Amino acid sequence: MSGQFKYGVSLYSYTEDFGSIMTLEDGFDHAADTGATGIEILGETHVECYPEPSKEWLDTWFGLLDRYQLEPTNMCSWVDTKLRLGRQLTVEEGAGELERDLRLAHRLGFKFLRPKFGVIDAQLTPDPIWSGAVERVLDLANKFDIVICPEIHSPTPIRHPAVEGYIDFIERTGTPNFRLLIDTGIFQNRPLKGWQHEVPEGDSDHAKLINGIAVDPEEFLDIAKYVAFIQAKFHYINDDLQCENIPWDKVIPVLKRAGYSGYLSSEYEGAREPWVAIDQVRRQHVMMRQLEAQYDAALADA
Amino acid sequence: MYEYQLIQATGFRNYGPEDAREGVEVRLRLPNYRGMRLSLLDGVDVTLDDEFFSYEITKLRLHGEVYDLDAMRDATTVRWAMGDFGSVLVPKAGGLAPGIHRVKVAARVRSPYFPPHLQPLPVNGERLATIVLP
Repeated sequence: MSGQFKYGVSLYSYTEDFGSIMTLEDGFDHAADTGATGIEILGETHVECYPEPSKEWLDTWFGLLDRYQLEPTNMCSWVDTKLRLGRQLTVEEGAGELERDLRLAHRLGFKFLRPKFGVIDAQLTPDPIWSGAVERVLDLANKFDIVICPEIHSPTPIRHPAVEGYIDFIERTGTPNFRLLIDTGIFQNRPLKGWQHEVPEGDSDHAKLINGIAVDPEEFLDIAKYVAFIQAKFHYINDDLQCENIPWDKVIPVLKRAGYSGYLSSEYEGAREPWVAIDQVRRQHVMMRQLEAQYDAALADA
Repeated sequence: MYEYQLIQATGFRNYGPEDAREGVEVRLRLPNYRGMRLSLLDGVDVTLDDEFFSYEITKLRLHGEVYDLDAMRDATTVRWAMGDFGSVLVPKAGGLAPGIHRVKVAARVRSPYFPPHLQPLPVNGERLATIVLP
């Protein structure tokens, strides 16, 4: 019914390590040793002299891809609509942010670009400039063969006006260069323990972020045809190889049934301490591969 | 490479003429998981021992340039990149005596993708740090 998942790692996983105890090459080494075939980065974090890396840095980048046999998957970017206190970005300025990152993503070999749009309210409605800005760069994305995919991320669930707006845009334009990215944090249904978040305690979003918004994984089937990339967000996998927050035993079969054969790109976001993520990512890869194998075996037996 | 903590041990020192110190520098790593344009940083509160200094009066030195709050808010083309150090300049006549001090900072970071009522959010750091020279 479907192909196999592709497994990747986002260097975001190593946020607490990168820059103090981990270099870019260390990150490649850790990612590749999981058996991953793809690497995801944050442009503003992992590209030296972003958005204009030096020739030497580019040589390093392509050398690492070659040595570790990793392909660039998704580059995360931001459209900082509130760059200024006094006013929002215009549509043209928003398009400029997207163009800057499309050009960089293309230079580095990425096939997906995740822009994080600024929002205008507590419901996390993306700034309305997003659609005009994206429309202006669709031709460029098409020329570069890059899919722009905004991220559906907790506390925004699948059934949300922002998601409807993105899907309307895909249908209206007919573009192949705009799709959804799903962050699996939306499926979190058990609370995080001992986790620190920058959102203050007592804020209405705090409880959602700690307890999870528990989107029913079955809802993925409603939007599967619009999904191009999955960030496999997770927070803690215990010594028995059980994820304590996200019901992967429900999520993986749904993704398989939907025929998803794109990337599961690990995104560890747990305890904010160094030296934790490296093994957590390895645990997640074992767990996800086992669940995929179980699904395939059950299908073969049926 | 950065020291892991937000507040760096190295770079914690008095500034100004040796016989008339004007204040204290506190060196920080990038107070964000991504490089950011400086206009997204809305100043830094600092507490030295028990003395509080508001983000409205501290300044930031980045790449050799000094920014007060207004200049920071206008700095839409300056990037504080991953790997760059920034030093908060805290006006404190006489500086601090050599020795160990408790230092707290709250870097006020605006993330446009956060709901408006959570902009800015403080990125906090606290540690004991050592002034070596008077």
